[in-house]
Amino acid sequence: MAGSATSAIEVIGRGHPWLSLAPALCVIAVLFGGGLVLGLAGSLGMGRGGVSLDAWIAVLSEGRVWRSLGLSLWIAFASTALACLIGLGAALLLRRRFPGQGLARLLFQINLTIPHAVGALGILWLLSQSGFVSRLSAGAGLIDGPAGFPALTQDRFAIGIIAHYVWKEVPFIGLILLANMQSLGDDPESAARSLGASPFAAMRLVLLPLLMPALIRAGAIVFAFSFGAWEVPVLLGQSAPVALPVLAWQRFTDPDLATRPEAMAIAMLIALVAALLIRVAMVRR
Amino acid sequence: MTRMMTAIGALLIAGTAQAQDGDVLLAMSWDEIVETARGGEVNVFMWGGADTINAYVSDHIGGILADEYDITLNRVPLADTAEAVNIVLGEVEAGAGMDAGAVDMIWINGENFRTMKQGDLVWCGYVDKLPNASLVDFENPAIANDFGVPVEGCEVPWSRVQFAFAHDTARTPEPPRSIPELLDWIEANPGRFTYPAPPDFTGAAFVRHVFTHAAGGADALVGPFDQEKFDAVAADTWEILNGIEPHLWREGVTYPTSITQLQQMFANQEVDLFFTYDPAEIGTAVENGIFPETAMSYGLSDGTLANTNYMAIPVNAANKAAAMVTQNLLLSGEAQLEKAQPEIWGAAAVIEPSRASAEVQEGFATLERHPSVVPVEELGQAALPELTPDWTRAIEDGWIRNVGN
Repeated sequence: MAGSATSAIEVIGRGHPWLSLAPALCVIAVLFGGGLVLGLAGSLGMGRGGVSLDAWIAVLSEGRVWRSLGLSLWIAFASTALACLIGLGAALLLRRRFPGQGLARLLFQINLTIPHAVGALGILWLLSQSGFVSRLSAGAGLIDGPAGFPALTQDRFAIGIIAHYVWKEVPFIGLILLANMQSLGDDPESAARSLGASPFAAMRLVLLPLLMPALIRAGAIVFAFSFGAWEVPVLLGQSAPVALPVLAWQRFTDPDLATRPEAMAIAMLIALVAALLIRVAMVRR
Repeated sequence: MTRMMTAIGALLIAGTAQAQDGDVLLAMSWDEIVETARGGEVNVFMWGGADTINAYVSDHIGGILADEYDITLNRVPLADTAEAVNIVLGEVEAGAGMDAGAVDMIWINGENFRTMKQGDLVWCGYVDKLPNASLVDFENPAIANDFGVPVEGCEVPWSRVQFAFAHDTARTPEPPRSIPELLDWIEANPGRFTYPAPPDFTGAAFVRHVFTHAAGGADALVGPFDQEKFDAVAADTWEILNGIEPHLWREGVTYPTSITQLQQMFANQEVDLFFTYDPAEIGTAVENGIFPETAMSYGLSDGTLANTNYMAIPVNAANKAAAMVTQNLLLSGEAQLEKAQPEIWGAAAVIEPSRASAEVQEGFATLERHPSVVPVEELGQAALPELTPDWTRAIEDGWIRNVGN
């Protein structure tokens, strides 16, 4: 069994790397690249006669789009930063051996399988002004009614949205870091300790720099998702400004066909901004 | 995602189906059309947010189609009708799929219909072919015009609805019963009212009520769009709506984003008033235990908007014959009566019961309504005509720019 598997890999590996990658690249190029090209064409008004930048000009000169972009950037940056910070802390705690470690790891990872829309509804039931926490507070006599509870969903600072992303992405970051630490092993830190470094210094000067590449990559995935996803802000966001993906969807489902190119332009803008920022993060490392 | 998969699935199915040329069908007799449809299928794209409506279409109508015509009805649920328009538009733009489109029928009205009609995306001229079309009074302007756009044989009416408010008699025994009363009530009860932000369909309809009030009545807004008139009325409307903003839920800093959210908030006692474009929904919500039994719907003395909704067949539909058979069935006296039963859906009929069989007439005469649902006759005494899409669009855009930002 093992022998045949090895030989199969060897056969594939013998060709030029581009040749070996061709099947995977084809899927990406057709499904992903094709979508991007069609979206770009749509944003330029192609398919309905002629090419024009009207949609891009309209979108980029609209205050609402910029406010939405600002909100989406805030959501994505705050969610990514908090998820990375808490995920890193959790991973550092979970890598130690302690009784019940297996159970702790299981509990830590359990929400990875829960879909975002379900998680967002859970946040709504938990944190909204008529949610569970609010009802508990009312029962305890802390507030008079729903309006007395602070606005944590559909709120100006997108607290509900960020809370959902942090809840959902902390295990993701943690899991990647745990796997990364496993492959690094204890050796680098032990070496530093034997040379006289304190445990904290060993972690800060040896382990963290070694974990950085994985953390940045995982963070980039979280950033791209929380910047571009629609279902969470549509459930937990306020009516204005809406997150950029929600704005794109509103334009896409507008009965006026003239707004379709604008929807595509906003979608392209989302992809462009996310790609640029992630590129910058990767290069600066 | 599921929706998209369903749509793609339907697309694949439709691609293999026998293409049907509309002109050939129009030359056939009704019996020939039924024979052409037999053994086929029909892909019905419709808003899927109400279990009662979904069950009526899938089980009741789908059941009859399967038993009597051997037609399979595939109901594709949508969150927004524009999604179906997008599919048809994409197919027609791509040039491929003439008479092989994925969408055979769309539940539609208003702006989406205008979009399809203007874009030549809807199939026209077949309505006279349907035997049950004779039950409909096409002379009635409320049926011959869809949000002011002439129907002209391009869609078949399905139901009538009229906007209504709802309150909980236990909590709010004396609700405001006109727009001026409502505006005073909002000021006297801070934080207890709000409305979904347009482009939500129902929220936009609420804003049109205030707009109509600001115009001094519906008569002032009849006819084609008039920019000068709009500017004058709009200025007053935004002043009214910005004026009540500090007294709304969350001081008007934000608004609910969908009518579903407002329904939840009314159920959770976060607000005291609810409204809907389909009063039957109030009865359904009481039956489901979402609203208390003391919830009650009511109309306004200065009138509420009414409209007709329709079923349209896209110009590139693959199964036009089956779609025609389905539409004819939906128009039958029996199907309209079933749909009007409060426990089924409670939707008002578009046919003239007097033109239907004695049994159907009897059924309509003895129709019971849910105690929480305001009687159609009572609402209908003050019905306002819907504005044309040019008006509704300008009002929506204006609200987003001037009130909801």
